[in-house]
Amino acid sequence: MKLSELQALFQSAVLNGDAEDAAILDVIAPSHSADGATLMGVYVNAYRLRLSEFLDEDYPALRVLLGDDDFEALVEAYIDASPSRLRNARWYSTRLPEFMQKSESWGDNALAIGLAVFERALTDAYDAADAPALSIETLAEFSPQDWPRLGFTFHPSLRLIEVAAGTLDAYAAASAEEEEETLSPPEEDENTYEQQGSDETNREACETAPSQATDIEIVAVWRSELDPAYRELDPDEYLALNEAIAGHSFGDICQLVAFQNEGQPPAERLAQFLVTWFSEGLVIGVAETS
Amino acid sequence: MESLPRLGYGLGLRPIYYDEILSTRPPVDWFEIISENYMIPGGRPVAMLERFRADYPIVMHGVSMSLASTDALDLDYLKALKALAERIEPAWVSDHLAWTGVHGCNLHDLLPIPYTREALDHVVERISRVQDILKRRLVVENASTYVAFSQSEMPEWEFVAQMAERADCLLLLDVNNVFVSGFNHSFDTSAFIDAVPAARVAQFHMAGHTDCQTHRIDTHDQPICEEVWTLYERARRRFGDVSAMIERDDNFPPFAELLAELQRMRDIDAAIAANASRSAA
Repeated sequence: MKLSELQALFQSAVLNGDAEDAAILDVIAPSHSADGATLMGVYVNAYRLRLSEFLDEDYPALRVLLGDDDFEALVEAYIDASPSRLRNARWYSTRLPEFMQKSESWGDNALAIGLAVFERALTDAYDAADAPALSIETLAEFSPQDWPRLGFTFHPSLRLIEVAAGTLDAYAAASAEEEEETLSPPEEDENTYEQQGSDETNREACETAPSQATDIEIVAVWRSELDPAYRELDPDEYLALNEAIAGHSFGDICQLVAFQNEGQPPAERLAQFLVTWFSEGLVIGVAETS
Repeated sequence: MESLPRLGYGLGLRPIYYDEILSTRPPVDWFEIISENYMIPGGRPVAMLERFRADYPIVMHGVSMSLASTDALDLDYLKALKALAERIEPAWVSDHLAWTGVHGCNLHDLLPIPYTREALDHVVERISRVQDILKRRLVVENASTYVAFSQSEMPEWEFVAQMAERADCLLLLDVNNVFVSGFNHSFDTSAFIDAVPAARVAQFHMAGHTDCQTHRIDTHDQPICEEVWTLYERARRRFGDVSAMIERDDNFPPFAELLAELQRMRDIDAAIAANASRSAA
């Protein structure tokens, strides 16, 4: 048997989760103490275990929200549907939110999808490209009459996401519960029951969420220094930041904000946003637009 | 053949130990990284690596080169690996005698090969091309395996020895992997150690594994067992003063336990050196 044929057979057995695949067992040499299926099982089991670990690491809050059983069912379904085609395992879990959106089982669970999108954004921010942030003093290099033509460049980690209303609360609750579980080892029965009760509460919240999620929340996710950061945005800041990311000038964005918000003078409102963006390390470039 | 530097006694650089290493400056001569963990755009992993690189020699150890795969070499991967090597300037770059997938898939595991002349020709050609691309000699590690193939035409050590000579590469002798594969396939681990060309061994790996009674699995989550220490002593006597390190990837113990294992390595080597001096005198 040619090497390419052997590798195709071997891979097929692993992807199918079939350690008893007759074709591969036929070419495995007899072992002194373990049967071929047991030894082939080492590879079959390691494959699913390893991919599960990648998903576990990237979606800890989603696991808490769904509960262990449902999360593991999601992971199994994702692994079955998504053999890794990536050289670097770091990005294996990237498409989980899209998988959930298209899935019959999870597609209507807006809160779970929102949480998956949010945790994905946090992971992406963690190791996004580096870029030194500018301080607000950078603006002093430009005369006030040039400000309307100024455009801004933002940190490569910055993402604006729209998720189901309640996603950030769900994340905070799940993170707190996860931390509590870490601090309280589950050896004692009492603690175990408490966790199961909490899981039940989360599942109820999860199941009722879609009908409550009539609205969305908009979240900016980025990396501040070396750690992911996030903040919910008001609609007018979302609009302004979106436009600024797209390369529109300060003057153009002022006009849009004025259209959206008839209260505070738009230039003043936008100046407040700018101060915040600079202080949060979001701005990495300022230049006059043509 | 150019010789690689003798780095002494190292450990795998793992995030769980970052703070302790930086605050205590433990007696570790060098660190080995998993290359793929740093083949990312930026952020904390890359920033931390640069901090360690400023103070310690670093070796890049990959798990995704898929040297034995019958898929085409992944040139994008090699380009990214080369870019990281140019940035970090490691003492050397290593990967495994294994494949990780075919038909564009990646099983994220180090998969076994039949030790045939066809596989040998294939691997030799691939290592040669990788060395041309990376512009450096590759260090290739023997992997732990759990199945062997009936069609193999030679023992693993003969395959490894021929591969190294023909591809003109260097070898990373994983002592634990020799033991694990030897147990699983009932071969004489001493024969493996004795057959590997001494001049090509650039590094040792030591690690713990899981004893499943009927077979052993290379889990890197246990202390190094006595049988592997015994085999290490044999390897050290044969290969001399090559750089050695301990891999620990799960069930992480207090850092002091890893330092104690490193010290045991030093003590064994010192005893061997003392015996050699007495014999010479």
